Amino acid sequence: MKTLGLIVSIIAGAFLIYGTIDMPSWGDPNSPASIHVSPRYITKTEVETATPNIVTSVLADYRGYDTLGETTVIFTAGMACILLLRRRDGAKKTRR
Amino acid sequence: MDFIIAKYNYWIYIILMMIGFYAMIAKNNLIKKIIGMNIFQTAIILFFVSIAYKKGGATLPILTHADAHGEHAIQVAQYLNPLPHVLMLTAIVVSIATLGVALAIAIMMYRKYHTLEEDEILKAIK
Amino acid sequence: MMIEQAPALIVVISLMSAVATPLVGWLKKDLCYPWVILALLGSTLCSVLVLNTVMQEGVIHYHMGSWLPPWGIEYVIDHLNAMMLVLITGTSLLVAVYSRRSLEAELSDRTIYFYTLFLLQVTGFVGIVITGDVFNLYVFLEIASLAGYALIATGEEGAPFAAFRYLILGTVGACFYLLGVGYLYMVTGSLNMADLAELLPSLYGSKVVLVAFAFFMVGIALKMALFPLHMWLPDAYTRAPSAASALIAPLMTKVAVYIMLRVMFTLFRPYFSIELLPVAKIMLYAGIIAIFVGAVMALAQKNFKRMLCYIVIAEVGYMVGGVGVANAVAIRGAILHVMNDVVMTLGLFAVAGILAYKMKNSEISAFDNIFKKMPFTMAAFLVVALSVIGVPPTCGFFSKWYLIQGAVMAGNWTFVAALLFSSLVNVVLFFRIIETGYYDFGVGGSGHEHAHEKGTAVSEAPLSMLIPTVVVAAAIILIGLYNHSILINVIDFAVPKL
Repeated sequence: MKTLGLIVSIIAGAFLIYGTIDMPSWGDPNSPASIHVSPRYITKTEVETATPNIVTSVLADYRGYDTLGETTVIFTAGMACILLLRRRDGAKKTRR
Repeated sequence: MDFIIAKYNYWIYIILMMIGFYAMIAKNNLIKKIIGMNIFQTAIILFFVSIAYKKGGATLPILTHADAHGEHAIQVAQYLNPLPHVLMLTAIVVSIATLGVALAIAIMMYRKYHTLEEDEILKAIK
Repeated sequence: MMIEQAPALIVVISLMSAVATPLVGWLKKDLCYPWVILALLGSTLCSVLVLNTVMQEGVIHYHMGSWLPPWGIEYVIDHLNAMMLVLITGTSLLVAVYSRRSLEAELSDRTIYFYTLFLLQVTGFVGIVITGDVFNLYVFLEIASLAGYALIATGEEGAPFAAFRYLILGTVGACFYLLGVGYLYMVTGSLNMADLAELLPSLYGSKVVLVAFAFFMVGIALKMALFPLHMWLPDAYTRAPSAASALIAPLMTKVAVYIMLRVMFTLFRPYFSIELLPVAKIMLYAGIIAIFVGAVMALAQKNFKRMLCYIVIAEVGYMVGGVGVANAVAIRGAILHVMNDVVMTLGLFAVAGILAYKMKNSEISAFDNIFKKMPFTMAAFLVVALSVIGVPPTCGFFSKWYLIQGAVMAGNWTFVAALLFSSLVNVVLFFRIIETGYYDFGVGGSGHEHAHEKGTAVSEAPLSMLIPTVVVAAAIILIGLYNHSILINVIDFAVPKL
């Protein structure tokens, strides 16, 4: 199992590194990620959302639906912990 | 050689990811698997955040006083890309939630079998 | 006005009712069950409305918060989505009706939280299917997965370990998907599916896109339980409580197949996976191996539920192999099979839950005389079994027919052989159960009237568990009879132009 795990990790890592060959270099201000969608967030945030913190305006306004999903994830984890860890009352009493 | 220097950050994060991935699948102790999962997800988060960097003096994506009051046009190259930061805020929360559920299941198993080693639990189930 | 907002309402109704369920439960515990049914009824109605609108008007684009894509998140609902929405909400409604008695028997003190996680998982599935944004899909995938891990861990002996293993493998799958999203974002800058579909074709030669596609496929294969990444499925679905496995088993793997169809045919053009890369060939072989492995392992099982799990693994092989054959007829068969498999798996696991509830035992050897004791349940089981084998006029026959036709047209005789082999193995599997069930066939005459004699009392399943099972059996026959109109009106629009 350990050798199989090692082989799988090395293959996956090598494949990922193979993918970095065609990537834009680190910090390139003309990379596609910096040119396509985000300039509008930076230039129009004050006009459209009146929030100088751009991360907040994207999180709460432009992509607010993702934030709703994120809070649902936290709620799911909380409910899961209650479902899994709640002891029956009988067990609680005998432990004291 | 040039391509290693231009992208060494991605290489570091990929190696970190694979360390976490190996721990997740190959270790025997449940807590070590959970820690490996956390390392894997943290490395992915760092990888995404490093996409947002812009060389040439870019600063945090919070508008300065001058730009916020519309005194001059906003230079896009002056601010970092905000979108990966936003995505990763969500991913951090998701990773914490998964960690919580994993630990809850581990506690359930510890209460029942009093051990956290995978092979001992498998023997106890059979 | 309601009809315009119906796409958002599907997710909002299940989400808000999930958040309100603990409050309802703390007020009065018995109110949870009607509350869940009410909520799912609302969602089902909205999804039927959406399907109707899509069939009349074409693709729906719903912009969340009125921000245009790619700067905001949008819902894109075409025929494939709308069909999946109706399937998911309908299945969850039936399982919710079914779940009351088995939950009282297995988990009586924690039903409130079980129902909350039930609704959250339905929210997750609906959110995955309806969205048009790749990162949003990841968030809802995690909601559905977390709820699934917790629901499975509440089962019998050995359930927490099965849930833990599922958690580790499932998280690997979701993280690979996220890595794929990251690589694609790095070279395009966009997260919207339609936008990516326009930006990517000029980048198909790039190694980044190749690696992203590979990681998408491996991550989805982990969630889909495609051989050899299926290790989590048998333990997880066998040990889970009956209501949980009846919800998760029909839906989780098929939603993952839906994600695969979206990635292959909407995000990337079909020619990318068929001509540029040998992905279709790999999928075909993976499907064939999955069918053989699922069939052979199912023969070796003594536990009824475990046998069903291996049948599920084989069915995933049908769908992946059907897409791998890569002509229009086979893909049509594969999409029809997604619909059929949801209904068939629901029927199988519902019967398994009824048997576990009444007989308190899941071993096949303990099923003596059940055909006399539970005639209606077993009649429904017979219908589902005929559909899994592939006998007309049940729906299973038609999807197999299209798959075989597509494989013959493409010359893939191995796939045809695998499908026929799997049908034969299914005949053997179900015949074993029928034989054990009819064991004490009785002192002459046909069973029905004699069942009322003193010898074997009819001890049928409770009505709340029986009615959904019979509805599913009726649906199997109806889908089979109307399959032609379903194909023409809904599925043919979902098959990509190759």
